Amino acid sequence: MDVEKLKAILAALQSTDVTRLTWTLDGEVLDLRLGHPPAAAPAVMQAMPMAQPVSASQAAPSQTSAAAPAPAAAKPDSGKKTFTVNSPFVGTFYRSASPDSPSFVDLGQSVKKGQVLCIVEAMKLMNEIEADQSGKLVEALIQNGSPVEYGEALFRFEPE
Amino acid sequence: MFNRILIANRGEIALRIIRAARELGIETVAVHSTADASSLHVRFADQSLCIGPPPSKESYLNIPALLSAAEVSGADAIHPGYGFLSENAEFAEMVIHSGLGWIGPRPEMIRMMGNKIRAKEAMKEAGLPQLPGSEGVVKDERDLAKLAEKVGFPVILKAASGGGGRGMKIVRDKDQLIQGFRTASAEALAAFGNGDMYVERYVEHPRHIEIQIVADEHGNIIHLGERECSVQRRHQKMLEESPSPALNEKLRERMGRVAVEAMKRVKYNNVGTIEFLLDERSEFYFMEMNTRIQVEHPVTESVTGIDLLKEQIRLAAGEELGRTQKSIVMKGHSIECRINAEDPVTFAPSPGLITAYNPPGGLGVRIDSGAYEQYKVLPYYDSMVAKLIVMADSRPAAIMRMRRALEEYIVEGIKTNIPFHKRLLRYEPFVQGRYDTRLVEKLLAENPG
Repeated sequence: MDVEKLKAILAALQSTDVTRLTWTLDGEVLDLRLGHPPAAAPAVMQAMPMAQPVSASQAAPSQTSAAAPAPAAAKPDSGKKTFTVNSPFVGTFYRSASPDSPSFVDLGQSVKKGQVLCIVEAMKLMNEIEADQSGKLVEALIQNGSPVEYGEALFRFEPE
Repeated sequence: MFNRILIANRGEIALRIIRAARELGIETVAVHSTADASSLHVRFADQSLCIGPPPSKESYLNIPALLSAAEVSGADAIHPGYGFLSENAEFAEMVIHSGLGWIGPRPEMIRMMGNKIRAKEAMKEAGLPQLPGSEGVVKDERDLAKLAEKVGFPVILKAASGGGGRGMKIVRDKDQLIQGFRTASAEALAAFGNGDMYVERYVEHPRHIEIQIVADEHGNIIHLGERECSVQRRHQKMLEESPSPALNEKLRERMGRVAVEAMKRVKYNNVGTIEFLLDERSEFYFMEMNTRIQVEHPVTESVTGIDLLKEQIRLAAGEELGRTQKSIVMKGHSIECRINAEDPVTFAPSPGLITAYNPPGGLGVRIDSGAYEQYKVLPYYDSMVAKLIVMADSRPAAIMRMRRALEEYIVEGIKTNIPFHKRLLRYEPFVQGRYDTRLVEKLLAENPG
C-alpha cells in the first residue's frame, strides 16, 4: 500500500468515530487503531453485587459523532448521528444473560434509557450494562464472549 | 515456567520486564490507562489491555481491573514491577488465590517488611544490627523523653508507616523533643492515617548502602553485593553506583553475610533489597527492606553480569538458584543517573511533550526508558523519564563515561535534571567518592545552579 492511499484512508476516517479498521487486500493487511478511548471517566469497579446495573453513561462516556462512510466497515446510514455505548471496565462481554438466553438487544431494536444491553464480566461478577439514553441498535461491535477493554465501544445506536 | 506474564505497571520498568520475559521465551500482556495508550510497553508487549482512566487509583492501582485483565488475557503470572501494587500484600494474596503466579516474595514477607516497626523487630531477631532506639512504637511523651535520654541526642523521630521522608523529624536537644514529636506524629497521621512513631539515634553523616538479595523457593539465598544510594534529595535517590566507594572487600563480605543469614532465618524468597545506614565509623545498621525489584537494579546487573529480572521470573516459577555466593564476582564500576522531567534548579515537575530526543550510546552505556520523540510525559505519574546507566573498568572511568553520555543526551520540549547531573558528576566530593546523604544539599548550597 502506498502512502497516498494510506493518507486517503486516514482522511476518510478523520471525522468518524471508527476506532479500529482491518483492511485485507491481495495478501496485504492493514490494521488501524484510531483515536483515544474517552478520558477522565470515573470507572466504577468497586465490589459490586451480582449483576448490579451499571449505567454506561456514569461509567464510560459515550461518543457521539456524525458517522461518515468508512471503507470496509459495515456502517449505518451515512449522515445520521450515532452514539456508542462503551465498556466501563476490562472484562468479558456477553450479549445475553446465559448461553441459552436470547440477546438482551438485537439489531434494529429500540431500547429505552436504563434498559440492560449486555453483561461485562469482571472478577466473576456479572455486571449489567444499561443504556444511558434511548436509541435504536444499529451495530453490535463486539462478538459475544470476547474480552473488552476499558472504554472500548460495545454498541452503536441511533438516537430516537 | 510461566507462559504469559501480565505486567501490572507502566513506563520503563514495564518495558524492562517485557525484555526479560521475551528473552526467556515468555509472552507478555501490557495493561495501560487511557493516557498511556501510545506507550512503548503497550507497543512491545504481545497483548495489551486498557484497564482504566489516567488516575492510578482507577487504573494501575485498580485490583479488580488487573485481575480481570489477567483472566481475559490468559496470563498465568503477574509481575508488579516497583511502586504501584508491588508491595501490597493483599494484592499478592489475591493474585495467588486467583491461581496466578506472583513474581515477588510471599505475601507474609511483604507484610512483615511493610510495617517499619515490625520489620525492625523481625530483623533484630534475625540478627541484623540496629541503631539504638525505641523497641517498637513510642508509647507517650514521657516514654519518649526517657528513650531520647538513653539513646543520646540528636535523635530522629520516624513514622511507623512512613516513607519518602514524610513524618520524620530530627531533634537535636531536649527542649525541642515534645514539640517535634507532636508535629511529626500529626504529619504522619495526616499522610498515612497512623500517627505511631518510633525514635532512634540520629547519624549526622550517614551513607545509604543497600544489599541485593536473590533467593529461590528452596532455601538457597545469595547476595549480589551493594549499591551506594547516598546521592539523594529529600530522601529521593538521584544517582546510584556499585560498588560503593565506602566499602572495602572485608566490609562488603560482612554486610553481605549478615544480610544473607538474616534472610535465611526468615526464609525469604525471590528478590529483595536490605537498606543499611553506614555511619562515620563504618558501622552499619538495618533501616528497611524493599520486597520488590528496585529502580536502581541495573548497576548491580552491570557489575555482576546477572539479569535480575530474568532471575526474578525464573525463581518465582520455582526454578533453583543454581549459583553459589562464591560464583558471584563484582567486576568494574557502574553508575546510574535518574533522568527526571523536572526543573534542574527548582526541581519542580515538568511534564509535557518531548519534541526532540537523542539518547546517548556507545560502549558501556545503557538507557532504560519509555521515552521517545513525541512522547508525552504525563502529569499523572512519576517524573522519571529515563535511567542512564554506564559501566566501565573503574570508578574514574565510569565518571568520565557518565559525563560523556550526559553531554550526548538531548531532550527537548520538557525540562530535565540532566544539567544537575552534569554538575554533580564534576562536584569534587562526589568525584573523590567521599560523600554522605547530605551531598546534594551541600552541592545546592554551594552552587544553586
